[in-house]
Amino acid sequence: MSEAPAEVKVAAPAPHDRPRPDAPAERLARWTAGYAPLPGLPDELVADDGTLRPAWDRFLRCLAGLPDCEIAARLAAAGRHIHDTGIAYRAYGETTERDWPIGALPLLIEGAEWQGIAAGVAQRAELLEAVLTDLYGDGALARAGLLPAAAAAGDPEFLRPLVGVAPPGGRHLHFYAADLARGPDGAWRVLSDRTQAPSGAGHALENRLVMARALPEVYGALEVERVAAFFQAFRDGLAATATREDPRIGLMTSGPYSDTYVEQAVLARYLGFALVEGDDLLVRDGMVSIRTVAGLKRVDVLWRRIDGDFVDPLELNPASRLGAPGLVEALRAGAVAMGNMPGTGLVESAWLAASLPALCERLLGEPLRLPGLPTWWCGDPAQREAVMARFDALAFRPAAAPAQGAFTSRAFGEGRDAAETERLRAVLRDRPGDLVAHEPVRLSTAPVWDGTRLVPRPFVLRVFAAATPEGWRVMPGGFCRISETPDVRPVAMGVGVRAADVWVLSSGPTAAQATLLPASDRVAVRRVPGLLPSRAADNLFWLGRHLERAEAVIRLTACLLDGAGAVSTAEEDRATSARIRSLLHAWGAVPSVEGAAAELAQHALSDGGQWGSGLSHALSARRNAASLRERLSGETWRALSALHAALEAPADGTDSEAALLDRAERALSLTAALAGLAQENMNRAGGFAFVDMGRRVERAVNACRFALDFGGAGASTDDLGVLLELVDSRISYGARYILGVALAPVRDMVLLDPYNPRSVAFQVERLAERLAGLPSLRQDGVAEAPARLVAGLMGEIAGAEAATLPLETVAAWERRLWAIAEAIGARYFPGGSDAARPETLVTLA
Amino acid sequence: MLYRLRHLTAYAYRNPVGFARCALRLAPAAGEGQVPLSHEVVVEPAPRTATERGDFFGNRTVSLTVETPHRDFRIDARSRVRVERPPLPDPETGLAWEEVRARVLGGTGLGPAAPLHFCAPSRRVPLLPEVTDYARASFPAGGGAVAGAFDLMHRIRADFTFDSEATEVGTPLAQAFAGRRGVCQDFSHIMIAALRGLGLPAAYVSGYLRTLPPPGQPRLEGADASHAWVAFWCGEEWVGLDPTNDIGVQDDHIVVARGRDYADVAPVAGIIAGSGAQSLSVAVDVVPEEEDA
Repeated sequence: MSEAPAEVKVAAPAPHDRPRPDAPAERLARWTAGYAPLPGLPDELVADDGTLRPAWDRFLRCLAGLPDCEIAARLAAAGRHIHDTGIAYRAYGETTERDWPIGALPLLIEGAEWQGIAAGVAQRAELLEAVLTDLYGDGALARAGLLPAAAAAGDPEFLRPLVGVAPPGGRHLHFYAADLARGPDGAWRVLSDRTQAPSGAGHALENRLVMARALPEVYGALEVERVAAFFQAFRDGLAATATREDPRIGLMTSGPYSDTYVEQAVLARYLGFALVEGDDLLVRDGMVSIRTVAGLKRVDVLWRRIDGDFVDPLELNPASRLGAPGLVEALRAGAVAMGNMPGTGLVESAWLAASLPALCERLLGEPLRLPGLPTWWCGDPAQREAVMARFDALAFRPAAAPAQGAFTSRAFGEGRDAAETERLRAVLRDRPGDLVAHEPVRLSTAPVWDGTRLVPRPFVLRVFAAATPEGWRVMPGGFCRISETPDVRPVAMGVGVRAADVWVLSSGPTAAQATLLPASDRVAVRRVPGLLPSRAADNLFWLGRHLERAEAVIRLTACLLDGAGAVSTAEEDRATSARIRSLLHAWGAVPSVEGAAAELAQHALSDGGQWGSGLSHALSARRNAASLRERLSGETWRALSALHAALEAPADGTDSEAALLDRAERALSLTAALAGLAQENMNRAGGFAFVDMGRRVERAVNACRFALDFGGAGASTDDLGVLLELVDSRISYGARYILGVALAPVRDMVLLDPYNPRSVAFQVERLAERLAGLPSLRQDGVAEAPARLVAGLMGEIAGAEAATLPLETVAAWERRLWAIAEAIGARYFPGGSDAARPETLVTLA
Repeated sequence: MLYRLRHLTAYAYRNPVGFARCALRLAPAAGEGQVPLSHEVVVEPAPRTATERGDFFGNRTVSLTVETPHRDFRIDARSRVRVERPPLPDPETGLAWEEVRARVLGGTGLGPAAPLHFCAPSRRVPLLPEVTDYARASFPAGGGAVAGAFDLMHRIRADFTFDSEATEVGTPLAQAFAGRRGVCQDFSHIMIAALRGLGLPAAYVSGYLRTLPPPGQPRLEGADASHAWVAFWCGEEWVGLDPTNDIGVQDDHIVVARGRDYADVAPVAGIIAGSGAQSLSVAVDVVPEEEDA
């Protein structure tokens, strides 16, 4: 097929366009000049007759009001926002996050056309619910020959422990998504159904915030349907499945190492769900609870974002470390509702596609509105015969979900080589039921702005639907993936794909309705409830500790560089420098105490191979923060990224002493900013106490260590100067004591002065305050272990006197601070000694 | 034949365990020539909750939780069962194996007894080209299904070595197949994978063998522990085949549970709250009783 590309016709600019009548029209003409849809494939921008489609015409005319450089700058800012706030994803198998690529123009869909899509998606959701009810119920559809029983039974997503379990709340599916593309005739059709744990709604939400901000005048002028009400309805739908009033809802996450974790965190925060991992959950006494710092808290509904098979290692996949043992039993007993129920992945499988049209007629009494690809299940002799007749023209894929099977998960597409054909024929001979054949997919195209003009690129549209008490509700919008190359075979998430927002344009009657919806998508549905899982508390505590330790290492390094800059080569100087070096070594920040100051400083700041370097602690802090995404503000995440960047060695590897000092100072201002952010921006119910305690414990321990190393009986003036510098108290000391440094006043300032925010005394007082504000598990009013230990230490510090304080006492305080950290861990964190702690899961043989 | 069974499982943990959740499948099955007469399980420490139900395949399953801190965990199961199976089908009769495969693919029932549950790969039984190719020699075009299955069993027994040191409970099938050694679990998984690779239904059966053979016969492998074998669907009925001993299943075998593989029928599965090493000891006694006159 080699039709000539359709020429795009743009209406001549109206004569009354003022004040600069030509600029926008000229731009519009330039953008669309040479826009050539791919032969034989429908395109979003231009109709078959070559004219611009009305929605795009309106959109581009609005956009043309902006000069090219402005548009480029706005889209770049959108991309930067995505980068800075860490809205990132991972491709499978990667351990580092990638930025979510956005920067595409939104996909526009007219209201009238959207209504057809929405009705079709809602119908499919209802149909798949009915199929699930039957497959996990009495199997009448299989008995009637309406679907292939052998394919269902062989599907690894057919989770037998769930057969016969009535789903609490009355349904299997609560959240559904469909991937759509236009067929060659221009009609929408479904490429795949997502019933397991559909992802992407959080990205849709973020894309909307970003695009509405990037192009506010266009967004406003086009009357785009808002999506906030959809999320509210989804939340209400889940809540309605619970038996309690005002239920607690958890988002059961696949954890920080999964590719959609950030999206899950975004949704948990937006919807006000507790983000929980399997280890956070405990099934006991017919109840599912979240382990929190305030003890066990019952959870009523779980929104599952892990695969169904991983929900319960006892009754389902024993290799799962993501689930909680006993959850299936809890579902059986109706103790918790789960959306989607485990086992819903079954109807994602390709074997079902061939049966759906007949099933729709039978179950809903109406034709399937949104068809899928023409598909044949090869286990059926008649269908197999039809397939073999067109063997070379068809594409093949595994009939069941691809996790297990006789071959790899890759679809046997076009262009298969001889070996692949041979393998395919072997499967068709031995186990034909493992395969389906389908018409090859050619994706339709949408316009992408390449910086100067528009080009057609293939895309896939994901549409979301939520079950509500009033029936299925479809998000007016969605998540669009657009390929960066013109290859029209189905796109996979990965390199070369960007995300686009989806704008559904109000038309006629829906415009009035839209004004009843919240005016802005920025309206947060709920705040994060005051529920702090033990695991989150653990991460918060370590976030505080790593940041504080990073700061201490950087200060120590700055002192080393400072001393090295001085011309003096006095004995005293060298002794002080040696103390700094040996502490840096003891902390694992440098490989040896020998070497030039700049060389050591380079290690201490930027050597990722040194476990105790500033960079290593910054990375650890980021790792802790990564598990806390729903609890940290965008600013915090940005500051953590900046700290990491400041500590990284420059690409050329060279660093002068001055440059190193400059980097150290920049990093210190960022740790200060992070401390300020925690102080000012963190919800006090949401875990501030744990970040602060982590910081305080670490700071107190460090202050003791500094006092021991630099504040001994024979401390030189230089030593004491460094000591003041390390605890950031040189200025306050100078203001208080005119006569210069002396041992007792310095020690007092570092250790005992309750007014100095860097002293040990100050940290211990803050620890006492934080602990007093935390919930107690004891009914008898007796203080818990951490508070008792802190009170004891606080009393002793209050009674000490700088002039007569033996160093052994300081060393003892340091040990007691370690014990306090241990006690906090044992009381509040997973793995502690408390009986309600999570366990190492050991499978009995 | 009337049997008295005792299956004692004892775990010893280095560190105390505060919480355990277990599923037990220890009761002899009813049907297909078996009549359970009694079954009793004693668990120490005493469970806090215990419920019994049938799993998807109809195997009796006891779910229990233990909340008493313990270092020793004992499960003592005692049963009496009568076994009188019909004779094995004649390998020279019955359907061609291709016909069995076609019937299963066209099956419409999803009930627990339907053979189509036992054709697909499962957790412990991946389908591997080398194992499927191994099976082909036993199933020439148009050959009988039962004859093919018996031939496959003979070949496995001839080609593989029983070796309790070679594998563990978690050894992957591919490794046992490549090494040509293993125990009853490996033999059974390999035979199941071979049959399923050709689209034939095969189930994993857990149970027991009588401890002492009848006078004049050799003692069989697997008699002092829980045993496992294969049930093959020949198009009309399930045929028990024990590839470890190269015999058809008759009255010396006592069926406890049937599933797709070991993961479906493990006699004791569970998860404990604790850390540190554990050791396991299992003792099985299968003693024929004098029939009352």
